[in-house]
Amino acid sequence: MYRKFLNARSPLRLLEKGLHGGLGPGNLGIVVAGHGVGKASFLVGVALDELLRSGRVLHVSMAHPVSHIRDHYDTVFAELAATAHLEGEARLHVDIDRNRSIRVYPKNEFTPAKLREAVKVESETAGQPSMLLIEGLDFETISREDLADFKALAGELAAEVWMSVSYSKEQIAKLPASVERVADLVSVALALEPGDDAVLLRALKDHDNPNLTELHVALDPRTLLLTRH
Amino acid sequence: MIHDLRTIRNIGISAHIDSGKTTLTERILFYTGRIHAIHEVKGKDEVGATMDSMELERERGITIQSAATHTIWDGHHINIIDTPGHVDFTIEVERALRVLDGAVLVLCGVAGVQSQSMTVDRQMRRYKVPRMAFINKLDRSGANPARVTEQLREKLNHNAVLMQLPIGLEANFKGVIDLIAMKAIYFEGENGEHVVSNEIPEEMRDEAEVARESMLDAVSMFSDELMEAILEETVTEELIHEAVRKGTLSMDLTPVFLGSAYKNKGVQKLLDAVKLYLPSPLDGENTGVDLSNNEAPLTLASDPNKPTVALAFKLEDGRYGQLTYVRVYQGELKKGGTIINSRTKKKHKVGRLVRMHADSMEDIESSASGDIVALFGIDCASGDTFTDESVQISMTSMHVPDPVISIAIKPVDKKTVDNMGKALGRFVREDPTFRTRVDPESNETVISGMGELHLDVYVERMKREYGCEVETGAPQVAYRETISQRADFNYTHKKQTGGSGQFGRVAGHIEPMEDGGEDFEFVSEIKGGAIPTEYIPAVEKGFLQCMAKGRLIGFPVIGVRVVVDDGKSHSVDSSEMAFQAAGRGAFREAYPRAKPIVLEPVMKLEVEGPVEHQGAILKTIMQRRGTVIGTTESSGMSRIESEVPLSEMFGYATDLRSMTQGTAEFTMEFARYLPAPAEVQKELKEEFSSKIVDDDE
Repeated sequence: MYRKFLNARSPLRLLEKGLHGGLGPGNLGIVVAGHGVGKASFLVGVALDELLRSGRVLHVSMAHPVSHIRDHYDTVFAELAATAHLEGEARLHVDIDRNRSIRVYPKNEFTPAKLREAVKVESETAGQPSMLLIEGLDFETISREDLADFKALAGELAAEVWMSVSYSKEQIAKLPASVERVADLVSVALALEPGDDAVLLRALKDHDNPNLTELHVALDPRTLLLTRH
Repeated sequence: MIHDLRTIRNIGISAHIDSGKTTLTERILFYTGRIHAIHEVKGKDEVGATMDSMELERERGITIQSAATHTIWDGHHINIIDTPGHVDFTIEVERALRVLDGAVLVLCGVAGVQSQSMTVDRQMRRYKVPRMAFINKLDRSGANPARVTEQLREKLNHNAVLMQLPIGLEANFKGVIDLIAMKAIYFEGENGEHVVSNEIPEEMRDEAEVARESMLDAVSMFSDELMEAILEETVTEELIHEAVRKGTLSMDLTPVFLGSAYKNKGVQKLLDAVKLYLPSPLDGENTGVDLSNNEAPLTLASDPNKPTVALAFKLEDGRYGQLTYVRVYQGELKKGGTIINSRTKKKHKVGRLVRMHADSMEDIESSASGDIVALFGIDCASGDTFTDESVQISMTSMHVPDPVISIAIKPVDKKTVDNMGKALGRFVREDPTFRTRVDPESNETVISGMGELHLDVYVERMKREYGCEVETGAPQVAYRETISQRADFNYTHKKQTGGSGQFGRVAGHIEPMEDGGEDFEFVSEIKGGAIPTEYIPAVEKGFLQCMAKGRLIGFPVIGVRVVVDDGKSHSVDSSEMAFQAAGRGAFREAYPRAKPIVLEPVMKLEVEGPVEHQGAILKTIMQRRGTVIGTTESSGMSRIESEVPLSEMFGYATDLRSMTQGTAEFTMEFARYLPAPAEVQKELKEEFSSKIVDDDE
């Protein structure tokens, strides 16, 4: 399969449809899940989709070392390429590596200022990111000002910013309290919930739409790929 | 033989060049009575420090080769492995670290934590070597031990705790306050040999009390007993020593000591600390692999009654002949005993067993597990394991990186060719990352190693130690060729030149191997004897001959599977030689159709430097066709991991230095082969074609 067909058939298109156009540039999106359910795989899936559509991704982590995150991308991409019989896999892999930056910080050292600094360096050397992923941010302690600053940066870059939020339970009925208090800054919130054979994506917040629709997207725990469900 | 293993300390002294570790080692040997006079590094007296046994090292004032020396301090046997300080000699550092139980990290009191300190520290962490720090050069202008301790915490993530306070600094540096004994320590006499303990000067008493309290706070984390004693105000020196030792051994605490080796201050207290806090061979766990049980890992016991296991970690071909430095991990080595090399299975008689001082030796009768000694006249390679005949054990294989750079060398004076051969033979045995070969085409000798400086040093050593000056060619990258698609062949080799002829036909296909690995695979699917079984290996040999030198740019071909499924032979004219020729012809026929491409070696490059220079560092990588994998930021430092083609890495050290004002450092090792970009392939093909034309002319 060629890249453009893969992009057209990506389950992310379905997700965008379910979210009335997707997250959108300049917005903050969060994915909430229990420990080990698949937040990182969701972020990698979203990032690979952006990379395959010629975007640039800056992946910030406070949870894992660089090698771990790179391995995660390699594994998911290899699976995606094999499943879709992707043409020109080797060349695409090189492109993906070149257009993705991974940055790792200790939890107590990461601030919006650090992110701005990183974006500046990246923009001057490799290129301006069109998507930012922030993994391992502590929503319990983050200040409203800091989150507003992340959102402002998303706006300045016209980039989508996805963040992962850990939750202590597997079933997530509503926005966790740590997110609820800053819900006005978050445009999209998704929950990942383990089902019988897949991890299901469910919208907890979709911009200002009061009626949340079903997303029909899941995460396959065996392949770590996002799939139609 | 040392019977009480608790009294052995195998330590390394590691640091950045110019931190003064050679001077420190020299002073240690002086105070422990192993040498009777002090010489300076880069000595005005032209003698040079004792541990720097090589002329080159003397001249540069740096230590390149690790040498082991034994000394005794307060009833404790201290084996000092002097580790090299430059990044290009990583294998030397790593080999030395393998045999160490603990280390002293020497830091310059003025320059503080420098880039090389970070590399060495990272290596020590990897090998789980507990360490303490010695902040040296406190007599120098600008010395600031508090700042250096802070850097140890921030840049190296050590839980660094000052165990002393300086009495005066720079030109007024007089001695140290021992925060455990709460005494002022002075080093008197012409060479500071008299350690005098006095009351703390009145004006420093408050400062010392505060420092002691903060030291106790940190140290008490490792001992509940000490914590209780602090609350009950019944703290004893022994309780503090125990807690410091516990924290040091678990690598959760780095006690920091102060001094100026050059001014003969602080060294004896450091030796006390080595004795008190660094591990003995009994404190660590050493593992080997059982060769008789499918290389299953096994733990070695520091027990002299168990079968002998010893690791040769260093060879030296000095004035006394070949010396092999070994660490005994289990059992004992005895003069007159027999040992067996686990790799070669060769037996050796232990003719002489010696303890080494830097430039002299002492004969001993036996050596127990945990000790470091040297064997005489044993032919082996660095990294070999020796055992007695009862077991087949090898020490866990050490990671030896592949060489990444080659240069051709030619003696300036042809009379010195023999010396060059001797020198190369020795270097190859000493250093597993150094390789040598003769290029069959140019007949030139080619040496390969881990970096430009690595090879430079060997070229210089050839000149100095063997009187052989060599001219060097341009650095050469180890390219490879591979195929990108399947291609069929059906080739008949037929020759009739009077007498019996030559005949062989082979048919099949070549195809890329899935992993693109270095392996070559030959698959015979011949049925019904189309090619007689005895000639099939000849066909494979024919292919292999061609794989050694590709037809695209003249480099070895990798990642090819050859499948032979048909052929023909002749009862009289077929021979091994004919089928070899048929194999070669088949390869030549199929190779161009299999769309061969050039692969270039890509290095994993890790650069560490201050955050403010990360933009500059990233630029140096981008300019070299590099791909940045990721950046880790912590405590004001960034570590950038990337992959960069080796061909772009020449002169990188100089560029990086100038782009970052010398604040960044890098390490690199081979990562993988990747297809070279089209323009690079084109250039290499043109270069190769022009060479062929030149040769033809």
